[in-house]
Amino acid sequence: MGTEAGLSAGRLVGRPVRRREDDRILRGGTRYLDDIDLPGAAHVAFVRSPFAHARIGGIEVPDGIAAITAADLDVSDLPVQGIEGGEVSADGHPVLAGDEVRYAGQPVAMVLAESRALAEDAAELVEVDYEPLDPVLDARRSDVTMSRWHRVSGDVEGAFESAAHVVRASHSLPRLAPVPMEPRGAIASFDAAEDLLTVWVSAQDSHRQLAGLARVLGRPEDSIHVIVPDVGGAFGSKGAPAPETMAVAAAALATGRPLKWAEDREENFVASYQGRGMEAEVELAFDGDGRILAVRARIWADLGGYLMPTTAIPTHTTAMLMCGVYDVQTADVQVHGRRTNKVPTGPYRGAGRPEAAYFLECTVDVAARELGIDPLELRRRNLIRELPYKTALGWTYDSGDYARCLDLAEELVRPERGGDAERVVGTGFGMYVERAGGQFETAEAELLRDGRVLVRSGSSPHGQGHDTTFAQLAADRLGVTLEDVELRFGDSKEVPRGVGTFASRSVAMGGSAVIQAVDALKEKIEAVAAGRGLREVAARHAGLRAAARFESDLVFSSGAYGAVVEIERSTGRLTVLRLVAVDDAGTIVNPLLAEGQVIGGTAQGLGQCLVEEAAYDDEGNPTFASFVGYSLLTAAEMPGVIAEFVETASPLNPLGAKGIGEAGAIGTPAAVANAVADALGGAGVDPPFTAEKLWRALG
Amino acid sequence: MKPAPFDYRAPASVEETLPLLELDTAVLAGGQSLVPLLNLRLARPEVVVDINGLAELDYLRADGGPLRIGAMTRQVTLERSEPVRRGWPLLHKAVRLVGHRQIRSRGTVGGSVAHADPAAELPAALLALDATLHMRSTGGARRVAASEFFLGPLYTAREPDELLVEIEVPGQPDGAGAGFAEYARTHGDFATAGAAAVVGPGGHAGIALFGAGPVPVRSEAADQALASGAGAREAAELAAREVEGEHRRALCTELARRAIEEAMA
Repeated sequence: MGTEAGLSAGRLVGRPVRRREDDRILRGGTRYLDDIDLPGAAHVAFVRSPFAHARIGGIEVPDGIAAITAADLDVSDLPVQGIEGGEVSADGHPVLAGDEVRYAGQPVAMVLAESRALAEDAAELVEVDYEPLDPVLDARRSDVTMSRWHRVSGDVEGAFESAAHVVRASHSLPRLAPVPMEPRGAIASFDAAEDLLTVWVSAQDSHRQLAGLARVLGRPEDSIHVIVPDVGGAFGSKGAPAPETMAVAAAALATGRPLKWAEDREENFVASYQGRGMEAEVELAFDGDGRILAVRARIWADLGGYLMPTTAIPTHTTAMLMCGVYDVQTADVQVHGRRTNKVPTGPYRGAGRPEAAYFLECTVDVAARELGIDPLELRRRNLIRELPYKTALGWTYDSGDYARCLDLAEELVRPERGGDAERVVGTGFGMYVERAGGQFETAEAELLRDGRVLVRSGSSPHGQGHDTTFAQLAADRLGVTLEDVELRFGDSKEVPRGVGTFASRSVAMGGSAVIQAVDALKEKIEAVAAGRGLREVAARHAGLRAAARFESDLVFSSGAYGAVVEIERSTGRLTVLRLVAVDDAGTIVNPLLAEGQVIGGTAQGLGQCLVEEAAYDDEGNPTFASFVGYSLLTAAEMPGVIAEFVETASPLNPLGAKGIGEAGAIGTPAAVANAVADALGGAGVDPPFTAEKLWRALG
Repeated sequence: MKPAPFDYRAPASVEETLPLLELDTAVLAGGQSLVPLLNLRLARPEVVVDINGLAELDYLRADGGPLRIGAMTRQVTLERSEPVRRGWPLLHKAVRLVGHRQIRSRGTVGGSVAHADPAAELPAALLALDATLHMRSTGGARRVAASEFFLGPLYTAREPDELLVEIEVPGQPDGAGAGFAEYARTHGDFATAGAAAVVGPGGHAGIALFGAGPVPVRSEAADQALASGAGAREAAELAAREVEGEHRRALCTELARRAIEEAMA
């Protein structure tokens, strides 16, 4: 079973402790970006391109309007992160558009006024001379490649030539809007006397914003102070610095005036980077016994008009996971990231993993139908059974029990298929393995005068519950209560340099740094304690500090999802009857919060299956710029989700933890898609599974 | 998402309101449709006339005769009215599907009718119930049948200087049943399509579809078929036969069938 935890369970770790931050949040005690009002601040509205692709002939600003264009700012384009073993182009996102716009919604100029309403009025009066150009909207038809990655391992040609069966399938996942409850925003204020630029930004951490600002503005990092206030969700979309944040900071420097940009929902829809937007052709070579001999995949990613700093990352993750949970050492995978005239894509909950799971797991089900083997049996013949396992594509899965996850999912979902005159019913499964953690994370622990311990974390929350889980970890190591531990996050001048909250990494990386810092502090306390209690020591040794920087390779969570769906024949309406999530995220610090993460991720995964699609019309205009055009699931559409955990400890960190934040969004689409295909008798339909699409598939 | 500048008037009575109504005025009732349109700058009136102070238009009257609904009656009031639930169950069933609870607590019956969204529930229900819409202007009063009122998406027979003041719904025959069915992507979302049906003894029938075209549509053929004893399936097919788009037609047919069966049950 492999459920031994790396850390012996203390009084709090492993217990379903309720989120201690919720009392403050629910009583409105939070301070979000838009709650911050600096005296004398001007409000910012952006002039955004109404065209998907156009040349800018000139910009005319009427008298009396305070507008800033690219010509007024001394900034670089946003930096672009590379991908290991691949190439990326130099298509960094400009802060404000120069002589070209590449997507509808791209910021062209910014207007400063005494209120947001006045700024919006003024923005309408700025005249931009656009010369519209033909937009490119299909990644497969784009002739501009912005990222490329290709890896071949083993004799792929030979494997396909000698295969008893070759199975091919094409699938695509549409673009999705992240839609955090709180949209993006930034406030910037420049103190010329101190030469200090202070930037408040709704973001996933302070230090990536700091690095981005320093680079784009050409200022040393110690002359910039980044503060992340309470953040009302991000789902990946507030990880990379936004061009608008850079523009606000640069304009605050240029004008000397404090500036505030708190975007509205429409801006968030059209200008916040999106997720998914990939299609793939996958081929699997099988021997006569249904063993996978080789995987071949060609993937096209619709990256949008520019590369945001992290745009290429999800495409690399998708590629690296194209062998999934299967024992196959021969693979040929390539990804073509193409430029299109849409808002850029970037990491969105799952960030490349749902795409890989969807492309591969749907192809496995196609294979099961073509080979006449039960889809679960076909999976069981091919699962990786011994870990650690180095994949054909180069990652090493650290731990897991894939067979156990699948067994449990099958048992819990109670498979059902068939139907009657009114409806068809089907069952599907989707397995996944996902990268989590990696790089480093930091923490500092300090003994306070009253005997409590203050922990400063480089990792930063935006809904995950760090204040509770990190306190559980610290309290157990110190042998104190939750109330004796205080956490601080998100201020670049106060917390140690961290990496951030993304890639399901907070507990494995940030949590490990917290316990190492706390352990080091405990040693220092014990050295001076001479038998005295913590409070007595504190009275004399307040300010005692210890720091930790925890580094590790990637850890790999995994899981098996199962779904039973029903489709109404007369209308095509899809109902998810049962959904089972079995996840192995290693040691679970707080089962209540972990289950919450799974249910939330599942709701987003189901949203993708049922209703979500960021679609553009033939001219490249977004058709999803409000909740009329872009639908989110409500509680009414959610089936009861059964979430179970298999806990195989990761050997790579002292907690044995992996990651759980994205699991639901990764496992759900593949399972539901396979259930839909099962109900339809094998028809290949891609999400969103609208009533019309399914009605047509039913014939 | 801040509205373009406009002048704001808040009259205290119908008499004070009527002279304010002109070509570029927008009447603000519950604001559940107008305010988003203003914020998106899709509606740019010169003057917004806020009629929330018109308490005289907030009433439900049913004294044995027709139901009279003041235009400023909140949707939630209609939803919770016991006389409406008993006497005009179709309205009760329809209003419960308008948006979410928060929307119905502000949204008004008159606002929904005057806004004339082709996917709205109340216009279709009123069409099936043969309602009459009462309007006033400085020039006098005018009444228009629901079947003549809805002219296109967000476009009605109301002139810019007219104010919708009352919706009159005839009393229903004893034993009349009501059915209402809709399909929406998610709970509380705009309906993709829907159907309203009233079926009573003595050949009384009214079937209306919404989300089926630019305006809610009443099918005389379906009404007559039901009156002469046709089954729900046959009547539903007649009701939806003009609907454009294969899937939308299939959806309307199925929803009409459900609404009719519910009304006949």
